[in-house]
Amino acid sequence: MVRFLLAALVTTGAALSIFEVRTPHGIDFVQQNSPTSSKYLIETMGGGVALFDYNNDGRLDVLLVNSGSLAPSMQLPAGFRRSLPQYWNRLYRQEADGTFTDVTRAAGLAHAGDNNYGMGVAIGDYDNDGYEDIYITNYGKNSLLHNNRDGTFTDVTGKAGVAGGGWSASAGFFDYDNDGHLDLFVTRYLQWSPAESKVCGGEYHTYCTPGTFPATSNILYHNNGDGTFTDVSQASGIAAKPGRSLGVAFNDYDGDGFQDIFVANDGMEEFLFHNNGNGTFTERAQEAGVALTDDGSPYAGMGVDFRDYDNDGKPDILVTNLAKQIYALYHNDGDGSFSYRSLQTGLATLSAGSSGWGVGLVDFDNDGWKDMVVAQSHVMDNVEMINPAMHYKEPPLFALNHQGRFERADSGTAAPVAGRGAAFGDLNHDGSIDVVMSVLGAAPEVFYNRGNRSHWLTLTMAGTRSNRDGIGARVVVNGQTQTVTTAGSYLSASDKRVHFGLGDAAQASVEVFWPSGVHQVLKDVSADQFLTVEEPRRP
Amino acid sequence: MIHLCLFLAMAAQQPAAEVVQHMQAGISAEKQSRHDAAIAEFRQAAQLQPDLTAAYVDLGMVYMGQHDYAEAIPPLKRAVGLDPGIAAAQEMLGYALLSQGYAAEAVPHLQTAGNQGMLGLAELQTGDLVNAIVHLQASLAQHPNDPELLSALARAAGVLSRETKDTLLETHPESGQAHQAVAADYQALQKNTDAETEYRKALAIQPDLPGAHLELGEMYQASQQWQKAEEEYRAEAILKPGSAEAAYRLGNSLLQNGKVPAAVTELRRADALQPDMPETLFALGKAESLDGKPLDAEKDWKRLLNLEKDTDLAEKTHFALAGLYRKLGKAANAEQEMKAFQQIKAQRKD
Repeated sequence: MVRFLLAALVTTGAALSIFEVRTPHGIDFVQQNSPTSSKYLIETMGGGVALFDYNNDGRLDVLLVNSGSLAPSMQLPAGFRRSLPQYWNRLYRQEADGTFTDVTRAAGLAHAGDNNYGMGVAIGDYDNDGYEDIYITNYGKNSLLHNNRDGTFTDVTGKAGVAGGGWSASAGFFDYDNDGHLDLFVTRYLQWSPAESKVCGGEYHTYCTPGTFPATSNILYHNNGDGTFTDVSQASGIAAKPGRSLGVAFNDYDGDGFQDIFVANDGMEEFLFHNNGNGTFTERAQEAGVALTDDGSPYAGMGVDFRDYDNDGKPDILVTNLAKQIYALYHNDGDGSFSYRSLQTGLATLSAGSSGWGVGLVDFDNDGWKDMVVAQSHVMDNVEMINPAMHYKEPPLFALNHQGRFERADSGTAAPVAGRGAAFGDLNHDGSIDVVMSVLGAAPEVFYNRGNRSHWLTLTMAGTRSNRDGIGARVVVNGQTQTVTTAGSYLSASDKRVHFGLGDAAQASVEVFWPSGVHQVLKDVSADQFLTVEEPRRP
Repeated sequence: MIHLCLFLAMAAQQPAAEVVQHMQAGISAEKQSRHDAAIAEFRQAAQLQPDLTAAYVDLGMVYMGQHDYAEAIPPLKRAVGLDPGIAAAQEMLGYALLSQGYAAEAVPHLQTAGNQGMLGLAELQTGDLVNAIVHLQASLAQHPNDPELLSALARAAGVLSRETKDTLLETHPESGQAHQAVAADYQALQKNTDAETEYRKALAIQPDLPGAHLELGEMYQASQQWQKAEEEYRAEAILKPGSAEAAYRLGNSLLQNGKVPAAVTELRRADALQPDMPETLFALGKAESLDGKPLDAEKDWKRLLNLEKDTDLAEKTHFALAGLYRKLGKAANAEQEMKAFQQIKAQRKD
């Protein structure tokens, strides 16, 4: 029967999608966003997802941030009910056979979301002990969960001083001062509360636009290296720019050796915080040409990725937004400024009618060019009533990168869903990158990459002088450039390993520019392997 | 003025002294806003001299001032019966009749009075849509942006359009034009799938149906289906090589679809067909900028800014020029353009 089907596919010329979309055995999560008639804006914004190996068994595990219980006309204090298991965040451990086991309770995470409405997740080994730690963002207080190296986590938020407050969205670990300790950036969306909530749209009864509520500041925490952090938002200049921030990604856009920050704002100018190298940042989005579209219009920035899509060695910026706005792709011109390239790259055609959240520029077909997956859905769950040409639920966008121009490809599913977060990593260890996408009100979708014959190389960076994860290291493989990060996308954290598609090349040359300043070269590295690259220790 | 006319008309009728006294008392009472007294005096005058036109006109005028159109009608009818040449009486009677819903009866009086706006309103109510549109447009030329006239003209044009479509559908239900008309209705209702079906039927019947490709392209554009829009605009541009709009829309869709050199060619053609169209110049500058022709882009955007000073398009153009100058290393020019952008943006926000 299978042979018959394959023969039929061959004779009809039908091509299989690169992805097989399925929910793996053991993952029984449903994103409980609890939509209400009060149209609380938080209920359409959640959906964090993380891919990381929490127990160092070599297999990626999955963390899904749940939203919580809401009721119409809630009063402060909100007291979001999270005690019922259906509202818990969930940690799924991947077993050797590719199935997953829910270890939420055993890991001590069952009540990690209590009294908060869940949003996103950041992953990083903040204490350099070789085990990944978790930071959960919420509407309410955020949580830092220290990995105890025995399969359990301890909430160290109070001790670390990173609870934040208000409405936090995406967050990410990075080492902004190259001191070898991962710092933490937390975006915050709006000054909003259930009591101040409004319903907009007149007879259509919709969520309000972000401009309805005051902007708020983002938070930068400096890692003191002793398990505590210091809020340096004011001192660093970050707090001077209030935003309506949802997405964040890091990279060194001007090659000065310090990680810069791009913040996706909703309905206003985007932020590009240039790292001055002295603990302060200067917001330069406007002069760098990444604040607005090419005709000066703001858009609803949500998800973001900060990677080199055209293999010129310089990180570019991709921001997802709402239908009719066109996802914004800014090409890094290498002179400290960017050019808006949504039209030339074909992205305008692909995204004009869609709304995007989680996003990744990742080489899915291992041809050496970073492709694109976007979790899609409009923010309004009744948008069809206002404009039948727009849709609340959409299938994800998958586009292949043909030497800098993107063309739509079969994502493996045409089913429309309310996609939100998206995390990227090689779940099944086959040398091809997979995707986990969170879906409001439903189970997550897992895109297993079927792979192909192209070669690949996946590197685990092990910092010794730099931070242990090697986050911020610039890695150049056969002319392609990647920067190690777990941040980006929307509310999500991806596998820290860096993956390179090598096409026909069976060998690779590897250059690593560590945050410590160490330059490391590996020659004649065999393709098709997972390789750990340890930073040379001090002599 | 009207009182002077009436005074002269009254003088010609040589009324008795008692009648004159009542008329003067009525006018005096009306000036003091003693409307009931004025009405009583004018009625006395009319009783004493039943053919005294001025008495009826003044009486009607008092009622009109009180917005009591029902009471105004009988004396004004009597007045125009006695002297059809008094335009003010004709106008007041026409207005009073129209206010009370007697639109057909009002029409000849408004025609005599020469009040085009009021006449158009009356004709709209009687269903004489063609004349209504003519007269409302004439009146709008005298009173631009009058809300009542604009609203009436919109209604008249809408009803005429609907009636014309009904006639088309009744008389030629399977014509390309009929399907095109139905498609436009579906499109207005945001039923794009049905609209698309009807446009396809229309084009199957008459492949060169005027405007059908353009309308279909606009529908695709509105729903952000730019590739389909490009196909339709291309078909329209082939059918109408002299149409600047078709060329602009094709060029703009090519630009949206990332076909930059082709967009430049098409937008330049649009510009040649109809120079100084701001939308064309903006898109052309954008295409030229993306195509590595910054000086051409600068020239075309400058042309646009000569045409538009404080519009949305001018705002966007200043921003685009700022980006272009930044890339050209002209920091001072870039700063100047950013200032202009921010200034217009702030003005438009206010």
